[in-house]
Amino acid sequence: MSMNVQPDLDFIKDMKAAGGDTLKNCFQCATCSVVCPLSSDDNPFPRREMIFAQWGLKDKLIGDANVLLCHQCGDCTAYCPRGAKPGDVLGAIRAYAYKFYGWPKGLANLASSGKNLPMLIGIPAVVILVMWLISGGMHIPSTEAFVHHGYGNFFGHWNFHLLAKNVFFIDLMFLTAAGIAVYGSYKGVTAMWKAMAENAGVGEALYRPSVPQFIKEFFWPAVVEIVEHERFKKCETNADRIRGHLPLMWAFIALLFVTAYSAFAQDVLGIFIPSLHGPMSLWNPVKILANVAAIALVVGTGILWGNRTQMEKDGQSSRTFYDWFLIWMIMAVGVTGIGAELLRLIGIASIGYVTYYLHLVAVMMLFLYMPYTKFAHLVYRTFAMTFERYRDSAYVKNPINEE
Amino acid sequence: MSDTAGNGAVLVVGGGISGLTAALEAAEVGNDVFIIDKNPYFGGRVAQLNQYFPKLCPPTCGLEINFKRIKDNRKVRTYTMTTVKSVSGGPGNFEVTLETAPRYVNSNCTACGDCSDACTDEIDNAFNFGMDKCKAIYLPHEMAFPRRFVLDKDACSEECLSAIKGACKYDAVDTEMQPKVFTINVASIVWATGWDPYDYKKLDNLKPESSSAIITNMMMERMASDNGPTGGKIIRPGDGKEPESFAFVQCAGSRDENHLEHCSYICCMATFKHMTYIRERYPEAKIYVFYIDLRTPGKYEHFREKLMSDENAEFIKGKVADIIAEDDGGVTVVAENAVTGVKMKQKVDMCVLATGMQPALGEAGKALGVAMDGNGFVVSEPEKGMIAAGCAKSAVDVYTSGQSSTAAALKAIQIGR
Repeated sequence: MSMNVQPDLDFIKDMKAAGGDTLKNCFQCATCSVVCPLSSDDNPFPRREMIFAQWGLKDKLIGDANVLLCHQCGDCTAYCPRGAKPGDVLGAIRAYAYKFYGWPKGLANLASSGKNLPMLIGIPAVVILVMWLISGGMHIPSTEAFVHHGYGNFFGHWNFHLLAKNVFFIDLMFLTAAGIAVYGSYKGVTAMWKAMAENAGVGEALYRPSVPQFIKEFFWPAVVEIVEHERFKKCETNADRIRGHLPLMWAFIALLFVTAYSAFAQDVLGIFIPSLHGPMSLWNPVKILANVAAIALVVGTGILWGNRTQMEKDGQSSRTFYDWFLIWMIMAVGVTGIGAELLRLIGIASIGYVTYYLHLVAVMMLFLYMPYTKFAHLVYRTFAMTFERYRDSAYVKNPINEE
Repeated sequence: MSDTAGNGAVLVVGGGISGLTAALEAAEVGNDVFIIDKNPYFGGRVAQLNQYFPKLCPPTCGLEINFKRIKDNRKVRTYTMTTVKSVSGGPGNFEVTLETAPRYVNSNCTACGDCSDACTDEIDNAFNFGMDKCKAIYLPHEMAFPRRFVLDKDACSEECLSAIKGACKYDAVDTEMQPKVFTINVASIVWATGWDPYDYKKLDNLKPESSSAIITNMMMERMASDNGPTGGKIIRPGDGKEPESFAFVQCAGSRDENHLEHCSYICCMATFKHMTYIRERYPEAKIYVFYIDLRTPGKYEHFREKLMSDENAEFIKGKVADIIAEDDGGVTVVAENAVTGVKMKQKVDMCVLATGMQPALGEAGKALGVAMDGNGFVVSEPEKGMIAAGCAKSAVDVYTSGQSSTAAALKAIQIGR
């Protein structure tokens, strides 16, 4: 059998930049696929992905669900006889895939390299600063006003109660950022699904599940598995990572709820009941949840931070911008968030305002770059795990048609 | 006999096939030679084989002729149970301190075996990799040279020791024997320290101690040997079952930076050879060979072709990375077939780990001034009077060991002239 291999040299260069420079060491012994606790019998990885990467077969990889099913436990890297670090290589392929599927392209390229860090921080920093300047709120309040309003007048206030000025500005910026992220994710995941379906030969399926069927049979079980960390728990070499990721994930879920509640209370109910604006009481159950989640966020990220540092020290993982950027961003969000709150409580307006500004910058970075950074695993891996179920279901694998 | 030979003397460290060859080549052109071995016998790893390449001869063929040549050659002095303690001086003028561990049996021994009959204590038989027991006073193996018993004194009770002493008609058992340290002057040193089978217990992902169905290739050699623990039967240790299926795990510890980084060169050929052992005994047994690449250099390629045409043998490209012990005494080996891209779980009655060669000299060699490469193989430095031979130099077969040993002797005799 002859085969026409069309290697994509840029892809290989990207692999090397994203920590996959060890991939050339692989001699295809397939130890990795066997020691991998997540790899299945019929569709094992990462041995096959390693040779695809060596050959520069980008198209095969970006449509390969296995790349995303990998949780980088590190067992493969620990047992690799050649130091090819398959775990890192698959991480690098994921980084490439997020960039490849990223929309808008410019933002995706920007978020994929540490060299762009000044720009990555600069964009939200400038946007928020300009917003602050044009909002007219640009002054540091008196201590009394600070204690009373907190950061509620950061973007100033007008006596137009239908829509508080602060809410307007926050929504303008963050709903836009979130909107770009959601649309970008939608475009990316759709394209990835199409590629995965093509690669797995799903295109010829006779029957397709309805949307409720799809959610019930594939999507929802994948979400449940993710929330319970069932797959993550199988990791052996880096079992400690779960202790960081689990609180972090719950923190995000809790903070999503808190933010949604807060937005509803302030931005919707607040139109009719202006007193809902301003800081919540510390004893408000929602506020308690928010504070607990904030601490879990920082602690969880701290554990992951320490774990990754240790892995790099032990030579089990390469140091990459892709891995660290997300840790830095989340840590920045947590630290500035807690910091701004504490400064509000002790009433130091000047430093408080600066910290709050940094918090807004960090949050906007997290939102805006979600689909292109490691944070993108949130959507891409969820859908890959959904696809895995779909791929192995009777919709695709019609037992009658099997030879 | 003087411990100090004349100018141009050669010390050969290691009395396996390489050391014997180097010693004889040097002695037969007239140089004085000291040959030492840490074991109580000469013959090294070859003595433990059932058959060896290139012609699949039994070790008696080859070793015996060398032993005879050594016995007949007054230029060669042999020391068993002897190790190098220190090396000083330089090429042409080395002063080497050697230490001979107590054998507790002197040269009166006629190997009649009466002591062994009287001995009540037993030890694991190291020659057979602990697959059987032997008496605590024993002849290391059938064709041991020197043909003299050796006593493991620490393994014996007082009563046993006195029984042994009482049984010897020749007053050959001396339980008070002390280690003997002595110095020799030589012009050059040939390091023919050979190899140890890689410790298969370190292959933790294979869980090698989880089942007695898991053996090493060297254990296979012993089992196939008529003088081995099973008298030449290949049966499963523990329950003695005659296996109906075998799995060979190639590169078990070799070509692996977590274990031995180098290719051990002989394991692929050893596995093919073991297939012939199996076929002689079990013509119908199923054989599965799991490999990364099959490396059968030179003319061995024909041997590979012959065995790969075996209808009951299957060759799977993919390294075994997990072994699961089964209740019936067998094991299931797990590998990904890299050609089909599907994981394979094969249940077999016996699993042979094709473990590789670990250079035996180890760290101790560095302290003696021996240059070594990153894998622990000795780097020949003839200009410094230090010459490597055989598997101490690189992982090779017997045939290549012979060549490198002759070459080493040629280098050695040119020093100190």
